[in-house]
Amino acid sequence: MKKTTYWKSLEELQQSTSPASSGEDLTSTPTPIEILSNNENDKASSRRDFLKWCGISFFSATVLSACENPVKKAIPYLTQPEELTPGKAAWYATTYQHGNEYCPVVVKNRDGRPIKIEGNELSSLTTGGSSARAQASLLGLYDDGARYHHPLKNGNKISWEQADYEIINKLRDISANGGRAALVTSTLLSPATQQLISHVQNMHPELEVITWDAISYEATRKAHIRFFGENVFPQYHFNKAKLIVSFGADFLGTWAAPAIYAKQYAETRKISKDSPHMSRHIQFESYVSLTGANADTRIVLKPSDEKRFLLALYGEMLRQTGQDDYAGTTISDAEFDLKQLASDILEANGYSLVVCGYNDPNCQLLTCAINQMAGNYGKTVAIDNQLMIGQANEESFGSFIDELRSGAYSAVMFYNSNPVYQHPKGELISEALKTLTLSISFSGTRDETAEACDFILPDNHYLESWNDAMFKEGCYSLAQPVIHPIFNTRQMQDSLLKWTGSDMDFHAFVRNFWTERLYPLQTEYGDTQGFWLNSLQKGIFERKAETTRLYNANYQGLPIAADAIRQLISQADGTELVIYPHLAMHDGHMANNPWLQEMPDPITSVTWDNFIAISPAFASKHQLRDGDVIRLHEKVEAPVLIQPGIADECMAVSTGYGRTNAGKVADNRGYNAFMLTGVKNNFRPFSDVLASWEKTGSGFQFARTQTHFSMEGRAIVRESTLDNYKLDPAAGNELHAYHEKHKLTLYPENIYEGHHWALMIDLNACTGCSTCVISCQSENNVPVVGKDEVRRRRIMHWMRIDRYYNGTADNPGIVFQPVMCMHCDHAPCENVCPVSATTHSAEGINQITYNRCVGTKYCINNCPYKVRRFNWFAYADNNRFDYHMNSDMGRMVLNPDVTVRERGVVEKCSFCVQRIQDGKLKAKKERRHLNDGDIVPACVQSCPSGALVFGDLNQKDSRVARLIKDARNYHLLEELHTLPSVGYLTKIRNR
Amino acid sequence: MHNLRKAGKSRKFSTTTACILSVFVLTGFLSLSSFIMASHDENPQDSIHFSRDDLRKGERLFKGLMPFASGLHDCASCHYTSLPDTINWNPSAYDLAITWMNEEDYSIREKLAMPLGTRMIEDHQGMSVTAQEEHLLHAYLWEVARQGPGELKAVPVNAIIFWGLGLLMALALLDMLLTKKIRSKIPHVLIIVVGLVVHMQYAVAESRNLGRTQGYAPDQPIKFSHLIHAGENEIDCQYCHSISRFSLSGGIPSNETCLNCHNVIREGSLSGRFEINKIHQAHESGQPISWIRVHKLPDHSFFNHAQHVNVANIECQSCHGPVETMHLIRQEEDLSMGWCLSCHRDTHVDFTANPYYEIFARLQELMLNGELDAVTAAELGGEDCMKCHY
Repeated sequence: MKKTTYWKSLEELQQSTSPASSGEDLTSTPTPIEILSNNENDKASSRRDFLKWCGISFFSATVLSACENPVKKAIPYLTQPEELTPGKAAWYATTYQHGNEYCPVVVKNRDGRPIKIEGNELSSLTTGGSSARAQASLLGLYDDGARYHHPLKNGNKISWEQADYEIINKLRDISANGGRAALVTSTLLSPATQQLISHVQNMHPELEVITWDAISYEATRKAHIRFFGENVFPQYHFNKAKLIVSFGADFLGTWAAPAIYAKQYAETRKISKDSPHMSRHIQFESYVSLTGANADTRIVLKPSDEKRFLLALYGEMLRQTGQDDYAGTTISDAEFDLKQLASDILEANGYSLVVCGYNDPNCQLLTCAINQMAGNYGKTVAIDNQLMIGQANEESFGSFIDELRSGAYSAVMFYNSNPVYQHPKGELISEALKTLTLSISFSGTRDETAEACDFILPDNHYLESWNDAMFKEGCYSLAQPVIHPIFNTRQMQDSLLKWTGSDMDFHAFVRNFWTERLYPLQTEYGDTQGFWLNSLQKGIFERKAETTRLYNANYQGLPIAADAIRQLISQADGTELVIYPHLAMHDGHMANNPWLQEMPDPITSVTWDNFIAISPAFASKHQLRDGDVIRLHEKVEAPVLIQPGIADECMAVSTGYGRTNAGKVADNRGYNAFMLTGVKNNFRPFSDVLASWEKTGSGFQFARTQTHFSMEGRAIVRESTLDNYKLDPAAGNELHAYHEKHKLTLYPENIYEGHHWALMIDLNACTGCSTCVISCQSENNVPVVGKDEVRRRRIMHWMRIDRYYNGTADNPGIVFQPVMCMHCDHAPCENVCPVSATTHSAEGINQITYNRCVGTKYCINNCPYKVRRFNWFAYADNNRFDYHMNSDMGRMVLNPDVTVRERGVVEKCSFCVQRIQDGKLKAKKERRHLNDGDIVPACVQSCPSGALVFGDLNQKDSRVARLIKDARNYHLLEELHTLPSVGYLTKIRNR
Repeated sequence: MHNLRKAGKSRKFSTTTACILSVFVLTGFLSLSSFIMASHDENPQDSIHFSRDDLRKGERLFKGLMPFASGLHDCASCHYTSLPDTINWNPSAYDLAITWMNEEDYSIREKLAMPLGTRMIEDHQGMSVTAQEEHLLHAYLWEVARQGPGELKAVPVNAIIFWGLGLLMALALLDMLLTKKIRSKIPHVLIIVVGLVVHMQYAVAESRNLGRTQGYAPDQPIKFSHLIHAGENEIDCQYCHSISRFSLSGGIPSNETCLNCHNVIREGSLSGRFEINKIHQAHESGQPISWIRVHKLPDHSFFNHAQHVNVANIECQSCHGPVETMHLIRQEEDLSMGWCLSCHRDTHVDFTANPYYEIFARLQELMLNGELDAVTAAELGGEDCMKCHY
């Protein structure tokens, strides 16, 4: 068998044998003793300093030990609420939504404060999956620095009564004088809010609602209007597709509904001996997206070429179906065998799926036509029960800006919308707002648009609010408050109700809406109260009946669309720019979230910054190095990052950074790529021909985790192809059998009487989305260390997503591998600990006892998987680490069931032992067996694609016990015979 | 309740890092600390109503240094003026003062004339004070409320022995090396050796007890007697501490739970009405009662009541001691890790009662075959670190 070499960084590929040159300039990294020293010039620490430090610490230890034990109070409730048991968690179902993002969630509430978010398993859309952003949204609740604490008028505190009084008067004047008012919002998923707004519009016809999204899916809707006469964003069934072709759509990462698509996609990627079938996924893209990394075949093209390929594919399909090819573009076989692809699509007979990520109606129209010709509509794509996303209208927003500047509006309100930051004309909007009679922002957290408005009437955090959402037609979910508003804030909807003179609150409004509109749609509950309470408890309501539609396609617009695309392609010349939403930051509204900031981008492993990604060929052609700062379009200056797998003559930039007024974590971090977006024919296509770029000569240093914790090129990931798998299920995993056969050990075999916990990871299903990383951070009180510390390789995440490349740097194959503590039966870390702080439990867990650890770090040294982390500092209550753990409010997010680690101790994944203990206790209390699936660690729970399975190996019928016997199963570095409790299933590619 | 277990930091004992030298210094501080008194604010502000003389006279009157006109002896023999006030069922001077300060226009004379409940009637029979005396007593109580309760001074025996021995050792060393008043070196060596042994013993004992509070029995805001409730009246522990079956927390009962009975029972046999009234006051004012926490584990130890009370059926007394014999709740055990583990090693797990334990199939079989008598908690992993520390 040909040996595949894997590499983690370009330097590694280029055979630089010296470890010092692997990725980063380590010489600039200060040592711990230098950090202690204040004087930058006097780095070397003398013996005197050492003695001084000794003296001081000795003295303070003495004085501290002499303190008496503090008196602690135990204050019970006056009247204990019935639904609340101190020390026991309560779970409430609610919904995370922001613009086009959506996730039904349940929130864990301990002693009155929300401490963890998990996907709602009752939702048929996500079935318990979530996204990193949904997980991290919890931290926003406690962000006292970024959240507005009370209403403001021109920057000064004002009472709600006074604000209401002034606004009602102004609105009345505007109405009387025939002025115009506008409410600018991102796509509203909440039917109750929509109902409320139209109710307000009935009373105030002068109020216009302008829907605008920073990341828009409008073109898809426009194409469907032109093609089917229906204004829909179709629902895609990736699970039904045998062949998936994506043109630049990052549907597993950021495009449309990734959490839902990841689940569907994984369904087609999980294979077993009994059903060795999986979908084939071909991705055409210019930058390296999460989806591209998962594709079986990834074709690297610059944006204009992608469109050329799309057009050529359409032409090919026309020809193959015996029609006149008016596309007029062909691709030479040397470039790609499109003929084969077109015939494969047609052969799939309705079970292929073509998606396109460009917000360009012509491209979307072609995609519609291809899907229709392939017979996919009604099978893998459906326009009934559509998704409600992408309701924005760029054209009306464009004219809104013009009219705003010409003074046509008297009042403007912003809800969930931050155009000053997200629109290239943001500054003009900001200026125009100052001349208005009334400008209101409902933003709950600091943002650029709010700062330009007269009134800031802060909205509650979504965990403090009543709301509902309909993401897919017929799939409703409710949002309920899980905590009383922390600050003096009020829901936007309550403000509107107040101003229209209603004495109803939005809670009652949502309730009425559900009992009046949705109650008649079901037959399960005979009374409205029962229906409401059950919906509230479950968090979701799904209408069973699905409508079916006839697909009367109209091909008339296609020749025009093809012409337009041809014209677009002919204009493309030179370097092109592609703009994509950052996986963690997305549109930037959660930029002040330190969890998301420190989440390594799964592809580049950069934390805390965005960058301009360029290909290695482009870099060598223009003599650019990692971190060289360049200027684009005279607008932004940003560092370049050399990224294998990007199209040559192409630069990829990501949105979500460059906030100027978001809070201490986000401000002035990275650059704002929204400034580079342009509006073409009333759409923001997110790709452009680059007019100009130049080097500035300055440099920049990234905090990348890419080369951290490297396993030095051993057979870490194992992969094979579907054809080989069909011949031999152990294909690519031959080493496993070899090591099983040749294992030798001095140690006695461990006997686990009760449980033996294990985790199985299906590399085929893992998309690398990093939701598990944030979920783990949230569950286990993992601290945020900041960019500098990440650069010193001190990131504290208990699990990481390793990314391996193979092949050439132009278009490498990419494999993701989640790595956490392997909980080895023969753990190398255990027998080197001089104080027995790390030991093996009777249930197979490799334990670390913080209060016993003295911090020798021998275990870190001896761990072959590099999963142990050392607390170099006290990260809680330390001004050096001014993130959520440095304030009383921020610390409310901490899980009381997990110790906050002190400086000087080692920590690592515990298999969420607190959940294991809780799960076992629950079974014991209920006097029953512990069932498979009762215990779910945070990473497993949050995984949208179900790639992780946790369970008890001693339970013969458990899923892990079955999976560990699978021929694809292997362990990391099994030649060391550490006997890990974490197993991996080989990656199988269908090509 | 919600602050019962906060997200805590792990604390490493400083003894692991301190060297032998430090132990001596440390022990000295520890012994000293036992008699460091909480200092009160020492700049008396003259009141609007009361002169300094009034305050002084009032105190003398209250403490019986100056007779009352009616021949009443003193107040302080029943209403203690200093803390701890552990055995005395009568309200302390401080308790009276802060309760009355919240009332408008309170009057001792009126309270004496209209005593509340039989206990107070009996104890205050024939007592009366004049208007002048009342003024002085008001002055004193005002001062007590402002200054807080006084505290009893403990004699620092340990510290005296420690420092005394230290001095003796220093003298012996001095004499042995320099002054040489005593020729024979045997006494010197003896003193130093004995001194060192005693110092070491102190050091070990004190550092072992670092952070431990065995025997801790602080005064509570209400003179609540477990002896009367759990002992004499035989109320089940879980009647009040009901959540201990379900939650990790044992659960201090809410005020409402007290009122279940004390809505009817308004007077206690020992404390009269004064203490029970506090429950009603809390209910009316909406201010929950701030009990002083007695049993507390370090923040890095996770103890779950439900596991022990519900699953293992352990008696509450196994850990909390004979609570039904205590007026004032006291920490009976040292709550050390060794103490936890010794119980885990000795306690037999009842396999038959709970289907959960069927997972231990091999052990079940051995027991059925008679090859094994019993299985202890430790044998099922009860000694694992991560059973309690995570």
